[in-house]
Amino acid sequence: MIGRNAARDDAAPPGARGRWIAGRALTYAVLLAAVALVLLPIYWMAITSLKLPREIYRVPSLWPQTITFNNYRILFEDKDFVLAIRNSLIVSFAVTLISVFISSLAAYSMVRFRYRFRGLFGRVILFAYLTPTSLLFIPLSILMARLGLGNSLHGLILVYLTFSLPLSTWLLQGYFRSVPRELEEQGMIDGLSRFGALFRIVVPLSAPGIAAVSIFTFTGAWNELLLALVLITSESQRTAPLALNYLITSDVLPWGPLMAGAVVSSLPLMILYFVAQHYMVQGMTAGSVKG
Amino acid sequence: MAEKHHWTRRRVLGTTMAGAAAAALGGKRAALAAPALQKGSKVTFWGGLIFSDKANKLLVDTVNKWGADNGIQTEAVMINQNETVQKVSAAVASNTMPDALDLSLDLLLLLSRQGQFLPLDDVYDSIGKAQGGWYAPVASSTDTSKIAGGRTGIPFGVSGNLLLRRDDLLSKAGFSKPPTTWEELAQQAAAVNKPPLFGLGLALSNVGDGNVQISVMQSYGGRIADDAGKTVTIKSDATREYLRWVKAAWDKKLFPPGNTTWDGAGDNQAYLAGQAAFIANTGSVGIAAKSQDPELYKATLYSSLPGGPKGVVSPIAPQLRAVPKSSKNPDAAKALIEHLAQPAFMNAYYEAAIYGPVLQDQAKFKAFTGGDPILAGLLDLVQKGTAPAYPDVFNAGYADMFNNFMIPKMVQRVVIDGWDLDKAMDEAQVGTQAIYDKYK
Amino acid sequence: MSQAPTPLTSRPAGLAAARQAAGRRRWSAATQDRVFAYALVAPALLLILGLVAYPFFYAIYVSFTNRVVGNDGEWIGLGNFRYLAQSAAFSSAIWNTVILVVASDALKLSIGLGLALLVNQRFPARGLFRSFLMLPWAMPAFVAYLTWRVLYQPIGGGLNLILTGTGIYSGIIDWLGQRATAMPAVIAASVWRGFPFWFVSILAALQTIPAELYEAARIDGATAWQRFRHVTFPAIRPVLIVVTLLSSIWTANSFESVWLLTQGGPSDATMIFPVLAYYGMQTQRLGEAAAVSVAMLPVLAILVLVATALMQKDDEA
Repeated sequence: MIGRNAARDDAAPPGARGRWIAGRALTYAVLLAAVALVLLPIYWMAITSLKLPREIYRVPSLWPQTITFNNYRILFEDKDFVLAIRNSLIVSFAVTLISVFISSLAAYSMVRFRYRFRGLFGRVILFAYLTPTSLLFIPLSILMARLGLGNSLHGLILVYLTFSLPLSTWLLQGYFRSVPRELEEQGMIDGLSRFGALFRIVVPLSAPGIAAVSIFTFTGAWNELLLALVLITSESQRTAPLALNYLITSDVLPWGPLMAGAVVSSLPLMILYFVAQHYMVQGMTAGSVKG
Repeated sequence: MAEKHHWTRRRVLGTTMAGAAAAALGGKRAALAAPALQKGSKVTFWGGLIFSDKANKLLVDTVNKWGADNGIQTEAVMINQNETVQKVSAAVASNTMPDALDLSLDLLLLLSRQGQFLPLDDVYDSIGKAQGGWYAPVASSTDTSKIAGGRTGIPFGVSGNLLLRRDDLLSKAGFSKPPTTWEELAQQAAAVNKPPLFGLGLALSNVGDGNVQISVMQSYGGRIADDAGKTVTIKSDATREYLRWVKAAWDKKLFPPGNTTWDGAGDNQAYLAGQAAFIANTGSVGIAAKSQDPELYKATLYSSLPGGPKGVVSPIAPQLRAVPKSSKNPDAAKALIEHLAQPAFMNAYYEAAIYGPVLQDQAKFKAFTGGDPILAGLLDLVQKGTAPAYPDVFNAGYADMFNNFMIPKMVQRVVIDGWDLDKAMDEAQVGTQAIYDKYK
Repeated sequence: MSQAPTPLTSRPAGLAAARQAAGRRRWSAATQDRVFAYALVAPALLLILGLVAYPFFYAIYVSFTNRVVGNDGEWIGLGNFRYLAQSAAFSSAIWNTVILVVASDALKLSIGLGLALLVNQRFPARGLFRSFLMLPWAMPAFVAYLTWRVLYQPIGGGLNLILTGTGIYSGIIDWLGQRATAMPAVIAASVWRGFPFWFVSILAALQTIPAELYEAARIDGATAWQRFRHVTFPAIRPVLIVVTLLSSIWTANSFESVWLLTQGGPSDATMIFPVLAYYGMQTQRLGEAAAVSVAMLPVLAILVLVATALMQKDDEA
């Protein structure tokens, strides 16, 4: 019953052909401009990672004069950046899976049922979110030390749930709300349990939303620095942002390796984005569950 | 520290050096009356990660070698100095402090006031006696006896600011000697000022480099507070005189644009980019230039900070090692700290790091006499420099004022907001008094 | 909607019948639903309470003490707040935080919504555009802001290079070093990094709107604006509320942008609460640092209450 997407322009009346072309041209123009603005700093990072140190400082230019891969060599050979990427992957995947699962349950509960404290729960989850990290890190490190999880990836995963759970619970509520209730009820009449209704109907229908939420959770965990800085001590447990931060050891910034690190550590995210893209578009086909 | 490391040239080099240092120490160690250390016990050490990979490696390897020799399990982790405050705050709160750690004087004083560290007078005395005694400003500024009932920190290095100058440009303009006063500095800077090259690469922003302005102000006779360290005395004719100097240099456009919001790397960046003729720096820029821009390195000369009507104020910043009271293995921690003060190791360490010496005998180290201009400059700094905060009192109020950048902010009021000097001084005076009042 | 028993919906008669047919009758259907509802929300709630409730109340408590690192200190009532209230940086921080949050939210909303609407059309290469537009989010924040710092550099910075290169303006603009441009520069960098969150969230919401609704609206002769007003907007409204709320909290609590770009300068022109709290932390004055953050809580709390009320209204509509 639901089409692939809101393709409004497909059925443009023939008389409006000229206007359609103009509109399409405008769309491309605006998007290209936006992409250019978005890419400027990223382009700057990328070329800086290929420059020689002297060139970075002395001859600031919009493109490199000579290309070097030495910065990447430093990153991988001297700094063991692969290990940091591995740690970050472990932490981010774990956080995303746990967080999206638990918060789907919570969000569903808060959207579909009416019970006492429902509003309160929602608010508690958000209020928790208001505490700035700069304040959280001391009590959290006390907590982790007591749980024996200091200086470990497990501890980091647990701690990252503090910011990923509120985020995903709240966003998922927004997406679940837009799933028509009738579909679910129909499914239950057809014999699905509540769980079944959630995982067979609501989740597939909100797939674009869940994909988006996964992207945010993963990215948030991937890029977190302050808590990792405080909770992780051993070199073997360092995450990617932490390893990058440790490149800056004094008041001279190692621009080359730093930017090489930024490029490398954003690659897994870019792959994730392309994959998640797929689900964001594909999500709607699942919507043709018969209702 | 047992992770797989790639055996790069640097690592091999570092290990070899550590080996050499350790071997040289071998003979001396027997002479020390070391307490019997419990075999198989564990010591964790947080070293201060610094600019030089070589120095970091050397420190870690020396600690581990010491552990292996004494049958003690060591875990040496290098902590990024930029983040020590957060790291240590969390560790103190969660009772996960290491057995020994490197830290700045500022942090040592803060935590010593809270009784967090063991007194190490015996270690301090024994090292001092063996190596010709501690330098006076180092000894006086790191004395925690009054606040902690003993010396809690063992100094191992001193940093501070040197004045770096572009000799290639300045000698062409007829200045072959470094400026000795701030007025002279401004004159020389003006002579070579030709955008995009700016004469005065001094930071006026809310970072450590911006706090160099406190020294300038003090050298003009301005003071943060009275001798008791209680009543703030920023507003004075001397301070006004100092502000006139800044304002004049600003109006002549001697400062590189952006210097009111520079971060810690701002002045270095400007210098490495060839946009500043003078900067005040710990020496890290010199090291960076040495490997990255040899031409600039050759064109650079070093001198001590200029002075004002009241002489030179060039504060030293001692780095120290301490043992937290929470340590379960304090004897081993103390033995380790004593071990790390041995001449052979320290000579090798100083050669790679950018610290000045703390002990009289260290002045004879090849590191300082070997002709390296930066290390020679740091030696000079220790011998002629002033104690932190001098002529003011380095108390909690001063540290708070320092960390809140009250003086750079006062200058920003003048140059950014165009406030008249008295109004800017009034604001700084009131704001800083409120800070000092917190510690009454 | 009237007070139907749980769940919220007007329950078709068939559903209750189906339940009864299934023969699970130990509890009434309503009780079953309630237990189920609590069970679903429990894991999230427990985790959050366990991990954040303590830190949260700790922060509030500490803000009334003169605690420093290594010493619990004692209760000093409003002492920290009184000290803050007189400091010049604090009053700057209030306004700057409000300006930063409102301006960047407004910009992120318009940019995010605009781009999401564009990309939601069907045209070649839109997947590519979508991915490119998300890239700012992929950069570690501190590296991203350091890069912006370099772009803003007065001499040799990318922005001025481009302005000179294209002949638009050839002088030196000190983006971060003067009052007029410092805050806008910080806002621009934070919008750059923050808009993908809005863009992706809104796009995901747009994707859930059935095309039939637009067609029906078109048949009824609705204009583009009417279609947006009556079809698009209601569908993305719940997500917009959440996104506005979360993004405001983030921006209000974000430390890295300002710290890495200006440290709050020049002359407090970009001083915001988290940076001020950081200065407190540097002197290990936990009480004072907590007080800075706690001072900001009421504003954020009102935001949370408004947002939750709006969402509840949606439920009942």
